Amino acid sequence: MRSVSFASVTGTMLLTAFLLLSLGFAVEGSFETRAEIANTFSRQGQIQQAQIDLEELLRLQIDEENLLRGYLLTRDPFYDAEYRTASAGYDEKENEIRKTLGGQLLGADKLLADYARLQLEWRNTVAAPLLAHPRVRLEELDKRNKLFSDYETLTAAAIRRELAGKGDELERSTQRQLDRSSYLRAAWVLAFGLLAIVLNAYRTRLNHELEEERAVTRILQRAFRSESTPLPHCDVGSAYLSASSDRAVGGDVFDVYRLSENRALILIADISGKGVDAAVLTAFVKFMVRAIALRNSDPMAILTEFNVVLSKAVGDPYIFVSMFVGLLDTDTFGLTYASGGHDTAFVRRRDDVAQLAITGPVLGVMEEPFGSETIYLQPGDTLVLATDGLTEVRNGAGEQLSGQGAMELIARASRGAQQLADELAAAVRVRGGSRVRDDLAILAIRVLDGATPRA
Amino acid sequence: MRKACAFLIVCLTLGSATALADCRVHRGEHVVLYSTTDDPSVLMWDSRARLREYHSASFDVAQAMLPHAVLVSPGTHGDVVTCLPGYVVSPLFASPDDAVGVTLSSGPLKGTVRWVLGSDVRPRHKN
Repeated sequence: MRSVSFASVTGTMLLTAFLLLSLGFAVEGSFETRAEIANTFSRQGQIQQAQIDLEELLRLQIDEENLLRGYLLTRDPFYDAEYRTASAGYDEKENEIRKTLGGQLLGADKLLADYARLQLEWRNTVAAPLLAHPRVRLEELDKRNKLFSDYETLTAAAIRRELAGKGDELERSTQRQLDRSSYLRAAWVLAFGLLAIVLNAYRTRLNHELEEERAVTRILQRAFRSESTPLPHCDVGSAYLSASSDRAVGGDVFDVYRLSENRALILIADISGKGVDAAVLTAFVKFMVRAIALRNSDPMAILTEFNVVLSKAVGDPYIFVSMFVGLLDTDTFGLTYASGGHDTAFVRRRDDVAQLAITGPVLGVMEEPFGSETIYLQPGDTLVLATDGLTEVRNGAGEQLSGQGAMELIARASRGAQQLADELAAAVRVRGGSRVRDDLAILAIRVLDGATPRA
Repeated sequence: MRKACAFLIVCLTLGSATALADCRVHRGEHVVLYSTTDDPSVLMWDSRARLREYHSASFDVAQAMLPHAVLVSPGTHGDVVTCLPGYVVSPLFASPDDAVGVTLSSGPLKGTVRWVLGSDVRPRHKN
């Protein structure tokens, strides 16, 4: 019987972890891209502001020259005063542009510095002499004025080209970042989608395998599962707890099998080990005991023969079985039983609970004779058979329930056989919690109150 | 001066005819001089080499070259003698400019031949 492999579970977890990691990277990448784009937009804004300020600077420079010409032509002090105002405005605007560029555009900064130097030199070598001697016009001063004009115009044009080029570059960079962000998002969505498809396909395959496994388990459980057949004048109840998580099979088995009209085989056994491996042997035990009982229904003979068969057929020295086999006469309610090392068999008569004695050793260890005992059940009496999962369940302090504790539970339990079995199983779950490590089988057979035993 | 002008005319005449084909103005064309910079006056040079050197030199070197130039008023008329396309290159130019040889036909320097920048020359439209 194949179970969900650890590798399959690990694979799912790894895929999930990868998806979460990928999602984390994508989100972080988006934030980084957003920050880059915001920074680019900010720089574009600075360049646009610098371009506006540059045009204003050129206007102020032309103002200076035109106001100087006006003064030279008219000698009106108005032009002189306006000239000085324009000069101050030019200096202030130049500083603003320097702050806006902030040293980030080395080419434009250098050109701006050249431009400012030209303007200063023009003021010192052309404007100042003309202002000092407005009536004197020298050809050389005119040529120098032309020189400054040419260079300043060309330098301003170069600054414009530099700023425009940088603006275009930033615009292209922004577009690339946006494109990359879009492509990256699309790629991540595609990757997630593909991974989701792969994961879903994997999960579907896993579910299919699990369903196949469950189907096999159900088939096998029908063979291995303990059975209880209704008996005349009796109320039969049973419960089963497997130590292997949710599986209904384990190393314990019980059986109620009608050998004839008024004789029933009662069996409960505990096979060493647990889980699927022990469960396989339960089918062997159940059907072998039935086969033996059909030929010889004496419980002592059944145990003896089964002991031989177990040793020879299984051949595993580590396999042993504790077993209680009883033959119940449903007319007289006489119970003849043999117990091979099985000390969890009880009879409740009203509120009094007695433990049935062991009549021989566990099976599969040595070839020793087994004994048998006979008791008679009265109406209202209950035969309670369990495996050591009842008496050996530990509480939080590590204390076992023990036989005495089991008898107390049985004494307090409900009268109905099924209710009794369920209450005992629930008590084991409560006491043991997550510490339950052993299988538990419970079989309760109660003689109905109205039954009349025949002599 | 006359020998220089004659030599200039001979050299330019023997120059490649195809050189004129890419210029904005053509030999014999009547033109008006004015500059597109803030000062519309036009600087004219005694050689095309100095014209090119002036525009490619640093500001300080350009200042020292001014004695080899004359300054004419905007609107001065002239006639194109020759043109060399893309002859003048400057780090401040977006693209190379032409070198145009012009004979002045108005103003105090009427009759002289000088070199000017192609962007300072405009075809004259007769009414």
